[in-house]
Amino acid sequence: MAEDTREAPPPPSLDIDRQLRYWKRCLRSPLPHHYLSNEGNRMALAYFIVNSISMLTPNSYIQSTEPRPLITTEDRRAMRKWVLSHQHAGGGFCGTSSLVFPLRDYEEWDFETKTPSLEQSGLANIAATLFALQLLALIADENDDDAFRGVDRVRTLRWLRRLQREDGSFGEVLRKVPGQVGWFVGGGSDMRYCYVATSIRWMLRGDIKEGDPGWVEDFDTALLSKYILSSQTYDGGFAASSQDEPHAGYAYCAIAALSLLDRPLEDSRAAHASKILHSGIRDMPRLVDWLASRQFVYLEPVEDDDDDEYDEDGPNFLLPKSLADLSLDENLRYVGFNGRTNKNADTCYCWWVGGALAVLGRNDLVLREPSRRLLLEKMQHQIGGFGKTPGNPPDLYHSCFGLASLALWGEPGLKESDSSLAVPVETVWRIERARAALLRRAVDEGKEGSLGREMVDMGLSLCAEKPAWLAAVVGQ
Amino acid sequence: MPPKGKAAQKPKGSEASASSASAPTQQQQQQQQQQQQQKQTSSSSTSSPATTTVLERSHQRYDESRGPYEAAAAAVRSQKAGGGLGLSALSREEQIGWISSLLARSASARARANLGSKAQRELWRHVNEASLPVRCIKKTTSPEQQWGTDHAGQDVGRYSVGRFADRSEKRITLTTLEVASRRFLEARDQADKKLRDPLTGEEAVLTDREFQEEKDRRREMASLRKELYGGVSEGQLQFALDPEWDDVEPILQDEPENALAAISYPAEYDEAISYLRAVMLKKEYSPRCLRLTERIIEMNPAHYTVWLYRASNVFALGLSILDEIEWLNGVALKNLKNYQIWHHRHLLVDNYYPTIASSPVLVVKFTDSEREFLTEILAEDTKNYHVWSYRSYLVDKLGSWDSPDELASIERMINDDVRNNSAWSHRFFLVFSNPAHSSCAEKKLGATDFDPKVPATIVDREVQYAMDKVYEAPQNQSPWNYLRGVLAKGGRKLGSIEKFVGEFVSALGEEEKEDVKSTHALDLLAEIWAEKGEREKADLGLRRLAEKWDRIRVGYWEWRRSCLNEGVAAVVAAS
Repeated sequence: MAEDTREAPPPPSLDIDRQLRYWKRCLRSPLPHHYLSNEGNRMALAYFIVNSISMLTPNSYIQSTEPRPLITTEDRRAMRKWVLSHQHAGGGFCGTSSLVFPLRDYEEWDFETKTPSLEQSGLANIAATLFALQLLALIADENDDDAFRGVDRVRTLRWLRRLQREDGSFGEVLRKVPGQVGWFVGGGSDMRYCYVATSIRWMLRGDIKEGDPGWVEDFDTALLSKYILSSQTYDGGFAASSQDEPHAGYAYCAIAALSLLDRPLEDSRAAHASKILHSGIRDMPRLVDWLASRQFVYLEPVEDDDDDEYDEDGPNFLLPKSLADLSLDENLRYVGFNGRTNKNADTCYCWWVGGALAVLGRNDLVLREPSRRLLLEKMQHQIGGFGKTPGNPPDLYHSCFGLASLALWGEPGLKESDSSLAVPVETVWRIERARAALLRRAVDEGKEGSLGREMVDMGLSLCAEKPAWLAAVVGQ
Repeated sequence: MPPKGKAAQKPKGSEASASSASAPTQQQQQQQQQQQQQKQTSSSSTSSPATTTVLERSHQRYDESRGPYEAAAAAVRSQKAGGGLGLSALSREEQIGWISSLLARSASARARANLGSKAQRELWRHVNEASLPVRCIKKTTSPEQQWGTDHAGQDVGRYSVGRFADRSEKRITLTTLEVASRRFLEARDQADKKLRDPLTGEEAVLTDREFQEEKDRRREMASLRKELYGGVSEGQLQFALDPEWDDVEPILQDEPENALAAISYPAEYDEAISYLRAVMLKKEYSPRCLRLTERIIEMNPAHYTVWLYRASNVFALGLSILDEIEWLNGVALKNLKNYQIWHHRHLLVDNYYPTIASSPVLVVKFTDSEREFLTEILAEDTKNYHVWSYRSYLVDKLGSWDSPDELASIERMINDDVRNNSAWSHRFFLVFSNPAHSSCAEKKLGATDFDPKVPATIVDREVQYAMDKVYEAPQNQSPWNYLRGVLAKGGRKLGSIEKFVGEFVSALGEEEKEDVKSTHALDLLAEIWAEKGEREKADLGLRRLAEKWDRIRVGYWEWRRSCLNEGVAAVVAAS
C-alpha cells in the first residue's frame, strides 16, 4: 500500500506532560477494576508506575512539570514502607498485599535457628522480589547509598536457590503441596523466572569469597546457563525449551539472563562483552536473524467498504502481494515489532526485541525512526500512556515498555535505560551502591555476630525508616 | 399500694406499653394515633397525615400531653416569678385535673401521697373520665436532634410516620431473625457435640432444611441490615452469610493509605480473598475450600496462589483428576489468554499420568480426549502460546509421537492458515524430537545441530512439505525457517535446494528486470552463494535486500555483508 507521502511529515515527539498526567492518575487514584486480573502482581504494577515516572522525570524528580515533584520525599518514604511490608519472613517478597499476612500469623517460628517455618514461603514470588528490589532502588533518595537496607539478603538468596529446579530452570513460588514429596517449585518452565533469578542474584549476592563473613551459597549458575542455552529453537529464537515456539519475551529473558551471570558488579555500565552470552549461544547468526526479523513494515489496516468496522485484531503483519509495491513507500513510515513469526505488532515487543538486541550490542539493527514513529503516532494514546496495539486503550504494562523502548533508542526527554536491568542508568548505580552497603553490613555482622544488630535489622525491615535516635545509637 | 380493679388496669397497661409492646396496646396506640392525625387534619387541612414527619408528630404529642398542665404550670411559673397566687388561682376543676395527672404519672408521688383505697379509686376514675394523659413527655434539650440520623446521614426525625413505622417493623424483624439465628447456632453446637435431648434421649441433629433456612435467614438479615444500617449488600457477602463458614474468621487485608497500585476491586473479591487467607493459613483442604477457589478464579483467573492452593486441595482430597480437567475445560474456554490455567492442567497431568501409565488403553483414551479439547480451544485462538506449549508437553508426556491423528491435526491447521507459525513449530517438534528416529531425548544436540539418527526419507519428506507450502505464500517466513531447520537436522547443505530457492528471484542486479518474490529466498540464496564461496554474488544479494527489497532491516543486511567480508578476510589471512 503506497501512500502519497511526498511531503515529509513533521517529526513526531513524545508528549512528556501528557505522559506524566497519565502516570499521575495511575499513581494517585486506585486502578480501575479491570486490573483485577493483576491483583496477584501488584508489585509489578507498582514497578511499571514508578519506573515510568522515573524515566519521565530527569534529574531525580527535581524537574517536574508541576510546582511540586510528582513523587515527594514523603511519598518515597511511604512507598518504601509499602514495598518492605511485602517482604516475606522466609526470604523474598510477596506479589500483593493480599498475600501478606499479619505478622502474628507467621506461625511456627523456629526460635532455635531464628528462622520462620518455610511453610508459607509459597507466598513469596520470584518476579515480585525483583520488582520490589527495583522499586527500592527507584524510590530511594538521590543520595541514598543504602537503598536495600531492610532487605533480608541472606534469606532471599537462600530462598532463591531453592527455586531452582533440577534442569537448571527456576520456578516462581515454593510450597508444600499435599501428595508431593518435599518442596514443590511452582510455576511453569519459564525463561522469565530464569532472567529474574539472575537479576536478583546480581543485585544482592556480591563477590564475597566462600567461607568469608557474609558469603551466601550461590545457585547452580552453570546448570542455569546450560538450560538457557539449550532452549534455542530451530529458527534461532528462544522458547521455554528448544521444542516450543520461540517468543521474543523469552529471547530477551534468555539473553539478558546470560549477560547478567557474568556482569561486573561495579561500574557495570562499562562495555561488557559477556563471555557466557557470546561464546555460549549455539547459533548466534540465526538468533540475530530471528531478532532482526521481528521488525516489519506496519501497514495500517484498510477499512473495507463493505464492512464499516475493520477487524482491529486482524493480522497487520501481512505484506502486499508484490514486494515491489512495498518498496514504493519511500518513507517507510511505520515499523512494528512482533513477538513471534507472523504475529501482530505489539508495543511491548519493541522492548523485548529492542532490549535483546541492545544487550547483544546490536542496537544498530533496529530502524529507529519508523519504529519510534509507530509508537508515538499509533500506540501512544490521547490520554497518555501506550496501548498494546494501535487504537487500544493504554495499560500500565505497555505504557511502561513503550517508554522504555523509546528510552532505549535515545528519545529526548527520557532518562537512559539499562537494557538488561530495565531501570534507568542512574538507578543501576544506586543498586551497585546499595549492594555494596548490604555487603559491608554482612561482613561487619559476620565479624561481630551481634544479636543487637539483628534485632535492629528486623526492626528496620518492619518500620522501613531508621529513626534518628537509632542512627545516633547504632551508627550507620 | 398499687391501684386495683378494672379501672386501674387499663391505664397501667398503657403506662407499660413502651417496654412490653403488647399487641392490643399497640393497636390502641395506633388507633389513638389515627385519631390524633384525623384531628390534626380537620384542624389544619394543609398537611396530610402522610407527610407528617416523626418530629412533627412528637411535637404534637408533646403539646397534647402538656395540655392539662398548662394552666397549672403557668400559675406556678407566675408565682415563682414573684406575682400571682400560684395554684390557688386555679379553679377547683383545674386543681383536681392537675393533681390527678400528677399522681397518675408518678408512682413515687402516689406513694408519697399515701392514698387510701377509696382515694385511689377516685383518682383513676377521674383520670379515666377526664381522659387525662398518664404520661408527660419531658422537654428534651434539643428536640430537633432527639431522633438521630440514619446510616445515610438523614435525620430520622424527618422520616414520615409511615416510613418510621416501617423501619421499626424491620428492626423488630431483624431482632427476631437474630434470635432465630442464635438458636440455630446453639442447635448446631449441640449437634456437633452430639448432645442428647434430656427428655427424649435423642441425639441432636441438624437437618439440611434447618441449614438452608439459616442460609435464607442470613440473607434476609443481611439485606435488612444493609437497608437499616448500610454497608455491603447481601450479594457481596457470600461467605459471611454461609453458616458453613462460621468457624472461619476471615483475615482482612491491611491496606495502608499510600499503598502503590491499589485496585478498586469489588467487595465480593475482597471477602473471598480474606477467607482464602484464613484457610490457607490453617492449611485446610476441603470441598468448601475447593469451592472458594472456584469463586475466586471466576473473578480473577490469573491469581497464581489460588491455583496452587486449588491443586493442593485436589491432591489432598484425592479428587478425580479427570473431573477437575473437565471443569478446567470450561474455565479455559472462558479465559483464552490465561497462563495459570495451563500450568494447573500440566500439574494435574503430571499427577494423573502415573496412575494410567501401565494401561495403554487408558493412555490412548486420555490422549484422544485431550486432543479433542485442544483442537476445540485452538479453533478459538489458533496461536495461543500456552495451549501450544501444553500440547508439546503432552505429546512428550503421553508419548503420542507416532499418533497419526496428532500429525494430521497439525496438517489441518497449517492447511487452514499457512502462516500459523505455532503449528509449524509443533510439526518440527513432532518430527524431530520423536525419540524413535531422533537423538533428541539424549539432550545433547542443539535445535540446529545435525542429527544423524533422523532417516533421510523423513528429511526428504519434510523438505518437500515445506517447499510445497512456500509456493502458497512465498513471503511467508514460517516454511522458510522450517526448511532451514530441516536441512540443518538432516546435515544437508543449503545449496541442495538452490534450484528451488532460485525460482523466487530473477534478474538480480539488472535494474529494470530484477524481481524478488520472497526476501527470504534472496536471503537464503546469499547464504548459499557464500557457502559456495561466490562472495560477490552473495554480497550483491545482501546489498539488494538492504537497498530495495527489505529496507527496514538495512542494519541487519549491512551487518551480514560485513560478516561476509570478514569471513573472506579470515580465509585470506589463513591461506
